[in-house]
Amino acid sequence: MVYLIDFIYAYMCTIGFAVLFYAPKDSILKTGFSGAVGWTVYTMMNNFSDSVVISAFFASFIIALLGEFFVLSKKHPITVYIIPAIIPLVPGFGLYYTMLSVLEKNYELALQYGSESLLIAIAIAGALTIVLSLNSYRKEKKKSLF
Amino acid sequence: METAKKDVLLLALYAGEILLKNGAETYRVEDTITRLCKAKGFNDTNVFVTATGIFVSIDKDINHNQVISYIKRINSRGINLNKISKVNNFSREFVKGHISIADGMDMLRKINEISIYPHYIYAFFGGISTSFFALLFGGNMLEFGSAFITGILVTYVLNFLTNIQFPPFLTNICGGMIAGIMAIIFSSLHPSVQIDKVIIGSIMTMVPGVAITNAVHDSINGDLVSGWAKATEALIVACSIAFGVGFILKLWTIFF
Repeated sequence: MVYLIDFIYAYMCTIGFAVLFYAPKDSILKTGFSGAVGWTVYTMMNNFSDSVVISAFFASFIIALLGEFFVLSKKHPITVYIIPAIIPLVPGFGLYYTMLSVLEKNYELALQYGSESLLIAIAIAGALTIVLSLNSYRKEKKKSLF
Repeated sequence: METAKKDVLLLALYAGEILLKNGAETYRVEDTITRLCKAKGFNDTNVFVTATGIFVSIDKDINHNQVISYIKRINSRGINLNKISKVNNFSREFVKGHISIADGMDMLRKINEISIYPHYIYAFFGGISTSFFALLFGGNMLEFGSAFITGILVTYVLNFLTNIQFPPFLTNICGGMIAGIMAIIFSSLHPSVQIDKVIIGSIMTMVPGVAITNAVHDSINGDLVSGWAKATEALIVACSIAFGVGFILKLWTIFF
């Protein structure tokens, strides 16, 4: 039940950001879906492990897989489905808090927020790269075989 | 012959410029330019793309000795997924070979001028995303409402300032200041409204988070120069937002 509410909130949030990023109209509902699934996976993983980085990794892995699935219709490149969907996971607030702590001369807190933001960004980008490059490798192999 | 070479180069460069200005990944820009040039028979194409510029040189083949090169400086970067998608589809059509260069240039110009959502819808969805972000991070219904109004205001002002080409650094400072002022007003109206929850969503609309993730993504792909450039940009954006918000919060604690 809690997950369902989270799912709806994340769906609306992702749709809002899809419009802010001028996503094409027929892609908005799809990217909203993958964003919502990603966030639900993230909250579920957070219950099992105490590391936000691992949760972000698995969530963006799922988002990238869903993106590859949506791309099969060959209407839009995968960027369109991925960028709005990773928004709830992305460490924008952490980055802002890092700079705010620096401005307030609270360097210990800044280091803590900064390293966490960087690790989350690496986890998200790493998961995306793993899925995307494995898929393009597979396609190339297929092309060279036939 | 020479003019044809130059036209192909200009077309590919224009496509790359649209992609880069609207937030495509570096490898996608390089890939598109290479494909467009190869489609017209220029097999020796070298492209180097960073976040702030495109460098291309093309030739028929490696022994032909008539290389021409072009450099394009890119000043502003935003995110417009619709244009990325349109240019991607265009390049797929162009590679098939039945579009002439002049027609292709016209199609690209049309793509560059599209805007799919009017201002008020854009601002409204800015409010939606900001307010649901507040809920996602554990806000209550009052915070939802105040984040909605703050989001609409911040998105509208940012969009307006970007359109009149106000300096980006000052634009983000203004966004942060408006978010700070609105958050303070709402939190003093009712004690259960927390300043952080109102601000969190409006900050996401200025996207330092997507920028840092893209930076890491580029670096992992081997585009190290543009990875660092994008990371710097993300830090500068975060810094300007923190400056705007921090300034307002500091004033508030000094005077009240």
